[in-house]
Amino acid sequence: MRIRTSHLVVAAVSLLVVSAYADDRKPKCTTPPAECERIIRQMLSGRRYLGVQLQELNPGLVVKSIVDDGPADRASLHPGDRFMAVNGKSTKDATIQDFKRILSDAKETGRLWIIVQREGLLKKIELRMEPYTKAQIDKIVAQHLAEAHSIASSAPPQP
Amino acid sequence: MLRSIRVSILLPFLIISIGLGVLAWRSYALSARLEDGVNALAMQYAGYAADITARRIDSAVRNGLFDASEEWQQLERKTPNPDSEMLSQWLRSNEWITSAIYVPDADPASSIFASEPAGGATDAARLTREFYTSSGLVRYTYDPARLVEHVRPVLHQQPLMQRSQSDPQAQLAIVATPQHHGEARLTDGFTYVAPLAPPLQGYAIKAFVRTAYGTSGWENARYFSIWVSVVALFLTALGALLAMRGLNREAETMKLRGALIANVSHELRTPLSMIRLGAETLKRSSKLTEKQRAEIEDAVLREVLHLSHMVENVLDVARIQNRSTKALAFTPVRPRDLVTALITTYESWITSRGFEVTVQTEEAVDEQLWDRDAVERAVLNLIDNAVKYSGDVKFIAIALRQSADHVVIEVRDRGIGIAAADLSRIFDPYYRAQFSDTQTRRGAGLGLTLVQQIMVSHGGRVEVESSPGIGSTFRLIFPRQRSQAAEPVPALNVLPEIGSRS
Repeated sequence: MRIRTSHLVVAAVSLLVVSAYADDRKPKCTTPPAECERIIRQMLSGRRYLGVQLQELNPGLVVKSIVDDGPADRASLHPGDRFMAVNGKSTKDATIQDFKRILSDAKETGRLWIIVQREGLLKKIELRMEPYTKAQIDKIVAQHLAEAHSIASSAPPQP
Repeated sequence: MLRSIRVSILLPFLIISIGLGVLAWRSYALSARLEDGVNALAMQYAGYAADITARRIDSAVRNGLFDASEEWQQLERKTPNPDSEMLSQWLRSNEWITSAIYVPDADPASSIFASEPAGGATDAARLTREFYTSSGLVRYTYDPARLVEHVRPVLHQQPLMQRSQSDPQAQLAIVATPQHHGEARLTDGFTYVAPLAPPLQGYAIKAFVRTAYGTSGWENARYFSIWVSVVALFLTALGALLAMRGLNREAETMKLRGALIANVSHELRTPLSMIRLGAETLKRSSKLTEKQRAEIEDAVLREVLHLSHMVENVLDVARIQNRSTKALAFTPVRPRDLVTALITTYESWITSRGFEVTVQTEEAVDEQLWDRDAVERAVLNLIDNAVKYSGDVKFIAIALRQSADHVVIEVRDRGIGIAAADLSRIFDPYYRAQFSDTQTRRGAGLGLTLVQQIMVSHGGRVEVESSPGIGSTFRLIFPRQRSQAAEPVPALNVLPEIGSRS
């Protein structure tokens, strides 16, 4: 394949653009790091999560993956489980949006009663959504600081 | 009779006043009711406007929040793995969001965070909100003040349709931390404060409706109606007063006229009886001496002259009073000739009464455009008065003068004079000054009236100075006409008339 000069020009220009863009975006977040950290902690503290990634079948909801050591993992949900009902509402034909709505309705208590179908059998699972752990929040903060403020994540943030 | 006339004139005014009073009362009541109605309407309108606008703002807020989440979901659909750049872009397009974090379900630890450049308002109130997406959760903080700015354009819509210019119009505003909700009466209108729904519960919509009726001062319809009525009542009272005064004057004139009839009949009867007596004596007694006969003839002649003088006076007053313009014929007259001729004619009569007459005339008095007969009559009336109301000193001085602007004929006597109280009324018709012996002096009370009317028709006036017991001075003051164009008017018109009158 012959390399044409026009290709070279395009490549050079795009390289320039990309580098300029990268230069421009160097400080991705202009807020002071301490402020960012405070906001992230504030927003995530007390925030409950389930720790499950769903896949939308047509129709139905199936667990795609489980976050390690999350509430779902501890309640022994397995990938491949199909959600039949959550908190008394049928999710046989539900979409992910419907499920999220149920979650947001239950966010005060965080309690979920889920009936799953696993290998043809129905199984009732009772679980409680949990707040993010401190380690998780620390990790998110460190990730943001590293990405947006180019600060090494070595120093563990103080509570 | 006068009483009944007075009642009949005052009654309409009374009725008009009552009508005006009723009108004022009704107008006040009506404008008060109208004002109440307009105020109620304005109050209601303020309430409607505030409520409707508050609901519109609420829905605009909901729409704004919903649109933001929709926009994020659109972005997420395009890019399955959102990065912080995408989050920043979303932040920029929703200017009221200050910071946001995205937590994916698959791995909460790999969340992304974006925040807008730190402005000065880091201490501003922040609200937090979250929504689920198909792959995770977005949680963001926003500035309610900026959200208010975001929805402020809604205020520019009038809450209700304006059907006409006179419909009330609301001034709308978003107020923070309102002290109270509900309506409030202001001096010139109404306000209504309606709270906004969460998340902007710290804000409220204030609607202000101005009422034209609420104004104080004369523009207020109630006060205006009262003032107009007061003015109308005052004018009616003034009219009644003027009518009463006119009526009183008329009544007095009627009284005087009654006196005239008595007077004139007396005046006419006296010379007539003298004449009859003289004539009868002449006819019956053939044995009169020549001297006696001549005396009687003189007396008869004098009485006839007096009679004709009086009748002329009455007729002239009536004529001039009726404004008949043909009454006077203006012709060029030399005042000096006039006065001299007059004195020459009547000197014998005056001296026969025992009077001393002095005449003083300036040499060069311009020729004037006068009615010769009328002026002669005026002067003669003054002389007649001087003779009639003489005291012990029988003296008459007649003078003719000329000043820059006036020609003055003055008649001065040393008679009984006129009291100050009578001075202002001596020119009224039929009025005769009150003397102890008024009835013994002959006269109809028309002489001075005639003099004044003649002077007015000549553009001049009469002045009188008098003090009781010392004498009176009457001045006939004519405007002076310069004689540069004193062309002799064809005498044909003049001479026969003079001849016919005298």
